[in-house]
Amino acid sequence: MTETAIIEETDANVDQKRKEAYFTAGQGQLIWARFKKQKAAMVGAGLLIVLILSGFFAPFLTPYDPTIAGRNKDYLNGAPNVPSFCDDHGCSLRPFIYSFKRSRSIETNFRWVTKIDTSLEARRYVVFFPQGDEYTLLGMDLSTHLFGVDSGKIHIFGTDATGKDIYSRTLQAINTSLAVGTIGVFIAFVLALIIGGISGYYGGWIDSMLQMMTDAVRTIPTIPLFMALAAFIPATWSSETRFFFISIILGFVGWPTLARRVRTHLLTERNQEYVLAAQLCGASAGHVIRRHLLPSFTSYIIVDLIISFPYMVLSETALSFIGLGLKDPVNSLGVMLQNVTSADVLLNYQWYFIPVFFFITLVLAFVFVGDGLRDAADPYADTKK
Amino acid sequence: MQFARFAITRAFLAMFTLILVSLIVFSLMELVPGDCAERYLAFKSSQGSAITIADIDAERVRLGLDRPYLVRWGSWIFNAFQGEFGDSCILRLNISELLGQKFWLSLAICLTSLLVAYLIAIPVGIISATSKSATLNNSLRLVSYLGLAMPNFLLALMIMLFSTIYFGDTLTGLFSKEFRDAAWSYDRVKDFLSRAWLPVFILAWSATAFAIQTVRALMSDEVGKLYVLAASARGVSGRRLLWRYPARHSLGPIINSLGFDLNRIFNELPIVALILVLTEAGSLLYDALAASNDQQLAGAIIFMLTASIVTINFITDIALAITDPRVRRSILG
Repeated sequence: MTETAIIEETDANVDQKRKEAYFTAGQGQLIWARFKKQKAAMVGAGLLIVLILSGFFAPFLTPYDPTIAGRNKDYLNGAPNVPSFCDDHGCSLRPFIYSFKRSRSIETNFRWVTKIDTSLEARRYVVFFPQGDEYTLLGMDLSTHLFGVDSGKIHIFGTDATGKDIYSRTLQAINTSLAVGTIGVFIAFVLALIIGGISGYYGGWIDSMLQMMTDAVRTIPTIPLFMALAAFIPATWSSETRFFFISIILGFVGWPTLARRVRTHLLTERNQEYVLAAQLCGASAGHVIRRHLLPSFTSYIIVDLIISFPYMVLSETALSFIGLGLKDPVNSLGVMLQNVTSADVLLNYQWYFIPVFFFITLVLAFVFVGDGLRDAADPYADTKK
Repeated sequence: MQFARFAITRAFLAMFTLILVSLIVFSLMELVPGDCAERYLAFKSSQGSAITIADIDAERVRLGLDRPYLVRWGSWIFNAFQGEFGDSCILRLNISELLGQKFWLSLAICLTSLLVAYLIAIPVGIISATSKSATLNNSLRLVSYLGLAMPNFLLALMIMLFSTIYFGDTLTGLFSKEFRDAAWSYDRVKDFLSRAWLPVFILAWSATAFAIQTVRALMSDEVGKLYVLAASARGVSGRRLLWRYPARHSLGPIINSLGFDLNRIFNELPIVALILVLTEAGSLLYDALAASNDQQLAGAIIFMLTASIVTINFITDIALAITDPRVRRSILG
């Protein structure tokens, strides 16, 4: 009798505690709790973190410099070297690849042909932390790479027409595309916040005017808009200048959707009592927007930013693809995708397609995380289902 | 009466948007380095005639490029509304003749893709929003996201490669050789249709993905609402319930955004055109902007496109107002 009472009491206690935890949890904690429940979004988040980290630590994770300086001039359009543990000569604990010879003679119809030497002596063992091309990471000048081979070079994704290592280029490209996306999203975000903020807070004729402008910008298809802006870029600009200019263009074209959402949030919030209270206390418009309205939907804004990110990456890719964005010495995903479009690649050098899978994974990961966050940030998500 | 007032207000708004857009487009084309006079004379100079600065200035006066900016915009927009865009800077041809049916072909391809996309997306989106099965839902989501993430030029390349190997035809272009410059006839239409399905399919691919997302989101917002519960309490159920109540409400915003959907589809047209070697407005636009900096031609194409989008937005607004009294009230107050 007494035992059950105690159990009931502790149950009630636990329940009470859980409720208390629920009611006192911050917005961030609630979102995280709901986000954790979604498997697809969690997988996406994991992949995304891996991709971002591998982009960031690209110089260390990849064996060679992704520019022309790190090219392997003896292995142009070379197939991927897949490390293996065993072959006809027995097994080895250390993975190895084979060395190869390139030759061109009357037998091969004067085409360069790569011959793989599979003898025991020709094995090249994979080594970890070798010294290689120099790079700068986190302000340190380093030359240690994650892996390499004891002699010659290893290209796990093969090489392109100039002998650059596709694996090194791909990781570097993720970095570039993410950087372009970040700058683009940031500029779009600032513009959206200012324009959407003014439009939503003041309402009335200011809102109508700004909405009409936003709609007009939205009516113009973005690719022609990009093309017109990109036509400005003189051919003489260095790849860095080009890079920043493209990011800025992406930002200037991408704001209307975000601005609309900021405006809608503000329009619903500004009629709430707490805003009226602040206004009656004599707070200025800027103060009310900054201190009261913006914090009320920070989480929504973050979600919107993440959702708009893949579109920035896609736009960068499309732009680079038509040859108006970044160009070959820069490694971006768009540039990598542009390389796969020739029939020669389709028929003979299929390893050029490896970056495409990275691209698709990156976009999918972003979309799933964005979707999961959107559901998690919706406070009524649980009650609806 | 109320309806007429709504239509007139809407028409004025559309007109205003179009004029605003034309200003943006015109300014953009002004930003492109160099002008028509320089480009024309650069061509002449490459043909061997000696060109001086005075010649360029004379050409500017002849083309009216020495007039103030706003005056030029005014005359451009005035002519544009009459369907007259002047001569192309590079090709020295009348733009209306040059574009001719090419623009309408492109528009037809885009509109067909849009139609195909929604024909697939509306039923699929509704099923995905209302079904309880998690597997079905997740696989639909994955497929539609793949449509988003898989670049359409890659899809185009794959199909071309496949057809080259198995059918010995690359499927490029919009017409086969013998029909390219022929007049419209029954055979030419047949030939066109036998090739146009590919760009339509590729453009519809990502558009469908996007449309499924929208339909699903709107539908799942509506399904949980009380009026749906009330209707099912009255004994309406199954497909009848879905079509009569939540689907009708959630399709409103979709119809409203058709113009912007067309915009998104047209966006991808230049890329697809580039790969499939289509000879229509998308590839002309690409040439004009990326290859030759022909601002007259590019401006004309973008203007015609935005005019079509504004027109579609206007038509859908009117259509919505006919079916939904709330829309009429929101405009008229």
